[in-house]
This record gives sequence, structure tokens and C-alpha cells, in this order.
Amino acid sequence: MFKVKRRTVVTTGAGAFVLLVAALVVTVVTQGKGDAAGNMLTYPAGQRPAAPEFTATSLTGTPINFASYRGKIVVLNVWGSWCPPCRNESQTLKYLDEQYGPEGVAFLGDDVQDTPTNALSFLHGADITYPSVNDSNEAVLQRLSLAVPISATPTTLVIDKTGHIAGMILGAVTYPQVTTLIQDAGVTQ
Amino acid sequence: MTDVHAPTSKVESKTEAADLEGEATRAFGTGPAELAESGSGGTTGPSGTGAGWGRWAWRQLTSMRTALILLFLLALGSVPGSILPQEGADPASVTQYFTSHPTLAPWLNRLGLFNVFAAPWFAAIYLLLFASLIGCVVPRTFKLVGSARTPPPRAPRNLARLPQSVSYPSALTPGAAVDAAASVLGGQRFRLRRPAAGDSGQWVAAEKGYLREVGNLLFHLSLLGVLVSIALGGLFGYKADQLVVQGPANGFSDTAAALNEFHPGRLVTESDLAPFSLTLDNFTASYVDSGQNIGQPAAFNANVTYHASPGSPAKNYDIQVNHPLSVDSVKVYLIGHGYAPVFTVTGPDGAAYNEATPFIPANSNTMLSDGVVKAPSASLGFIGVFLPTAYLTTDGTLESIFPAANNPMVSLIGYSGNLGMNSDVPQSVYQLDTSQMTKISGSPHLMAPGQTWKLPGKLGSITYVGTEQWVSLEITHDPGQIPALVCGMLALAGLLLSFFVRRRRVFVRAEPGPGGVGSIVTVGGLTRTDASGGFEDEFATLAADIADVSAVDSAADVSAADPNQPEPNNQSETGA
Repeated sequence: MFKVKRRTVVTTGAGAFVLLVAALVVTVVTQGKGDAAGNMLTYPAGQRPAAPEFTATSLTGTPINFASYRGKIVVLNVWGSWCPPCRNESQTLKYLDEQYGPEGVAFLGDDVQDTPTNALSFLHGADITYPSVNDSNEAVLQRLSLAVPISATPTTLVIDKTGHIAGMILGAVTYPQVTTLIQDAGVTQ
Repeated sequence: MTDVHAPTSKVESKTEAADLEGEATRAFGTGPAELAESGSGGTTGPSGTGAGWGRWAWRQLTSMRTALILLFLLALGSVPGSILPQEGADPASVTQYFTSHPTLAPWLNRLGLFNVFAAPWFAAIYLLLFASLIGCVVPRTFKLVGSARTPPPRAPRNLARLPQSVSYPSALTPGAAVDAAASVLGGQRFRLRRPAAGDSGQWVAAEKGYLREVGNLLFHLSLLGVLVSIALGGLFGYKADQLVVQGPANGFSDTAAALNEFHPGRLVTESDLAPFSLTLDNFTASYVDSGQNIGQPAAFNANVTYHASPGSPAKNYDIQVNHPLSVDSVKVYLIGHGYAPVFTVTGPDGAAYNEATPFIPANSNTMLSDGVVKAPSASLGFIGVFLPTAYLTTDGTLESIFPAANNPMVSLIGYSGNLGMNSDVPQSVYQLDTSQMTKISGSPHLMAPGQTWKLPGKLGSITYVGTEQWVSLEITHDPGQIPALVCGMLALAGLLLSFFVRRRRVFVRAEPGPGGVGSIVTVGGLTRTDASGGFEDEFATLAADIADVSAVDSAADVSAADPNQPEPNNQSETGA
């Protein structure tokens, strides 16, 4: 049998109450404060994760072997025709492709959770000419996710000439973000 | 053998007797020095120093009642988690709650009541309970180790005052009688203690039932293990939902970006997901088709082909309700299903849409489902209702009368214009933003599989090609599940051990017999708790065994000295 003094019970209860109130204050104060970090991740040369090797089929049925891109800086855009931010950023990517394509930067789309009809219909309308992987099963996306933390569609990776990921943009891209990453990717070990 | 113990003065003897009796009944499992500490968490207030306050606070925290209060608070804190909708389990209901309680909901949200199990106040209770348990268990471990090394207390002077005692004369010398008793007690796996060099008298003290403390400790450690397991699950586990449409082109790979819902533990990153992939080959739902329960589901079977990791061999599995697929430490449960009518849309510039489009059941009994078709390239959108077994009632209403797709039909309302899909604002794939669109004239258009609706004004056409099915899968990874189960079972085993095993002590003391011939042997015993009874019988048997050994020995070697050796008095007397 416990023999508990009234004073002790009151003190313990009061202690627990104070702790709870303190915790509640912390809850209320910290609620709703988001992460202030931007949506761009960069990996310095020497610490870049290796981009995965993969073979796939393009939306038009052409085989794509990612190993053949080695030696070029690659801008790899994960997108879907069902995703408004992807459609919205496409014109920025198209402009960058026209600007950097002649300089040897390759642009490649990874069309996820989509159908070729829907995707090609969009690409045709948007006049985008660089190829896209038909990744309706997200197999390529999964391989990429094992290398870097991709949490949403769209996501754009910039891969250096040695096949290492120089950085990525989570969410819709902006022109300066991609140019910064392309310049970063030009610096390799 | 001669009794060689040195005579002691009356005063010394009295003091020793008092000490010894006190020691015999000292708390089981603690040494004499620990008596003062046994009131840990007791009623003494803090001394004025900071360290004094610290010690006092720690003692309060680690006391049993604080642990009980915290356990109660933990249970109380979980109540809102089951009454209010939770963001982790059902975000849609949380949104609904905000709509229906616009004043109350923000306040509940500030208190973290829509995500109780991740709220800091819940963590505070949890961590305090954790600290309380650790503070209780760790010192107990040391005490147990100490108590396992501590020999039994010395035999009290007056054994007759113990709860159980028996006294009988023996023909053996006191030393030989105690030796014989010690061999009996040793044979019964009692831990023994004999007089040290400076001690007076011939006695043996024996103790048994250390397993009780082991059980007690096992219980506490296991409880700690359960908490650690739950923490493991919270930190390294995750839960995700995914809708997968039937067919090889609609497979799914377990990646964060592809998941419809993803609720990771605190230390889970996108790269920690199990890299499996699966394709829904075939889904069948069987329903009761006659009698009172017509339309009730009978069985669901989702036949899938899966790869445990990219490039690994394909395997097949039939996922059923409560029969999940286990792959790479995750479990994939079947939690829902529905229909995905396949549409093709052709716009003025050609093919714009071709997809099995998941429709969400609005009525789980008839599987009447709602969905939208978005063909932004053709500037066309459709809001549709899918009826698996369509039936036109006499008053002209279209209904679904059975959940299976026996007479599938879709009813579509068409819109043309800007779908609002070229913006940075994400859209739900199950909702059509018609704010910048014009309704295509006419009443809802009813279509059977294979039928095409040619839209007016050269807008294009839509064809209802056929019907696929989809399943909703829940992917869970809880690394704490098995450790929690094991710890729970160990806790139960520990509790049972501590309930059924008694700590008991038996003392045997032999004094020289009348006239220096033989000896008077006294056996005394006590136990701490004997709620279930039985110690009295055990003691009686033990005392009889000890008496028997003495008797046999006496018959063998003392009979010559005293042929009229009396029978041992085996009567048990219960003390105060």
C-alpha cells in the first residue's frame, strides 16, 4: 500500500501541470513556422552523388540509354502533363534548351505517372523538342530517388559531365536557378 | 563436537539479538545499508541547495506515483487522437472539420489536437514517462545485482518469534545438526550463509526466490523496451497511400514523389523508402448477388507482380484484405478499390488524352463514382459519374443498383476553355476548375463502353473505351512492431514470475542439548508476501526433511550415546 502525503501529491501534480503548460506554449509558438530554406540543393564537386544508370524508352518509342549522355552536362526534368507547375515551367526549360543546347548541354524529360498520348499532346502544343522518358511506372524516378531525395513533381536535376548530380531544384524551376546549376556542373574535379 | 563459542555478556547478547532479528526481517533484496533508501520518492523535502532541489525533483520524477500519473496523462492525451480527425490518418476530414467549425478548429490546431501524436506536449508526457521509467529501472538493476551478491542475513537469536518455527531435540552435536540442515537446504537450492569467524553460535541462514526480482526487473526493462520500440516506429517508420490502376502501363514504384500520401517518421528521408515496385495485374471484387445481403462484398483479390528492388526478379502475390504483401520490410495493405473508365479525347489538333481515369466511389454500396477528365491540350474538361450497374428508374433517374460492373455507363458534362493548368498552383486530379470554362450545351451525356460523343462546334470528341479497376494500397513500415511484441510478451512473463515466485528465508540454529548431550535444533522461516499461501506447507515439509536427516544421522552415530533419544517435535507454531 502506498502512503502518500497530500503535500507530495499536490507538488507532483503541480509539477506535471507546469510542464504541460510549458509544452503547450512551445506547441502554440512553434506552430505554422515553415522551413525557410529554398527549393534548390547543390552538391559541391567531389561530394556529388552518382546519377544512376538506366535504359528506357522515350515517349515516341525510341530507346534511351542514359550512359550515352556521359561527357555532357544533362538537365533532367521530372514532369507530368497532369501537373500544372510542370506545364508552367516548360517554357523556361524550352528557352534554356535553345540557349544551352548548342553549347552541349543536353535536356531530357522524365515523364512520370502519365500516358504518351497526354504527354505528347502537351509537348506538341508547347513546342518542346527535347526527348522525354516514358516513365509511367516511375522506374527511372525510383532509381533517381535512391541517389537524391526527390520529394515532389516537378524536380529538375543537373548532372555534370562525369555523371554526378551537381544539384537539383524541387518544384518549378526559375531561369537563374538552372543557369547557376549548369555553371556549377561545368566545374568538375 | 564441543560448543566453542565464547560466552558474551548479557547486555551484548541482548543487543545482538535485537540486531539480528531486525536484520532477519530486513527488506528482501536489499542490504542493510539500503534500508534508508528504500523510501525513494518519499516524503522528505528538498534541502535548500540547488543540488538538493535537483535530487528532490529527480526522486519525484522517478517515483511510482509520478509514473502512474504520466501513464494516465498519456492515455488521456491519446483521447483527442481518437475523437478528432488526425492529419496523419485522414487529412480530408481535418479540412472538413475546419470548414464546419471555423472558430474552434484554429484553436484546436494551435494546441496540436489534429496531430496529437506529433505534438510537443504529447512528446513531453512521453519523454517524462521515459525518464521516470529509466530513473526507476536503472537503480533497480544495480540493486538486483547487489542483492544477488548479498548473502542471506544472519540467523536471529530467537527463531521462535518468526512467523514459522519448529523446534526439536537432536542427538547430533549443534555443529553436526546445522551441517545436516545446511545439506538439506543446499539440496533445495537455497542460498546459504554460515557464521563468520567472529560470529557466535551454530546456525545456517538460507534464502530462495531470487527469480521474483528477476521477473520484476524483466517487467520494467520490457516496459522500457516497449517505449523504445514505439519510439523506433515513430522515428524510422512511415506510412503511405497509393492508388494503382490495373494494367502494365500503370505500375507503381515506391518513391516519395510518386506517392499520393506520404507520412514519414522524424528520421525518414525520401531515400529510405523500400525500393520495390508493383503492377496490378488483375483485381476482382466478389459480391453477394442474391438474398438479403445482396451487394455486400464477399472477397477482394488484388493479383500483383512486384520487384523487391530495381532489377530483382519479378514475383506474384495475391493481396487480400488483412492479407498484406510483405516486401523489403514494408507491408502493403489493400484498403480500397474503385473503377477507372478509360477515355480518349480528340481535340481540333488530334489525340489529346488517352488514360484510365480513376473515379472515386461516392456510394460504397452501389459504387456510383465521381471523377473528372482533363484534356488541357484540347481545352476540354469533363465532370463525370460512373455507374457500374446503371438502371433507369421509372421516374427517369439514373442509378447504380449493384457494385459490380454489370452494366457500366458514364454520364458526362462537358466544358471547354482554360482548365487553369498552366499555373504554379497545383490542382487536384479529381477536381475540374471550371471558372474559366464554358459548359458545353445540353444535358449530361450518357455513354456505354465503345460509344463516342461528338462535341458540337468542332470542339472534338470523347470516347468511353472501357473500364479498368484500381486499388488503393497502404504501405507501412514500422520497425518497432516486432520488438514491441517481444517486449510485451517478456513484460508479461516478468509480471507472472514476480507474481508467482516468493522470496522466503529459512534459518536453522542449534544449541547444545540438556546436559551437553545432543542439541536443540530450531528451524524458523518467513516470507514477504504469501498471498497465494503455500509457504506454511513448504516450511513444514522442509522442517520435516531437516528433522529426518538429523534423526537418521542420530540413529547412525549417536544412538550408542543416548538410546532413549526422543522423537523430534515437529509441531509448527505460528509466531506473532
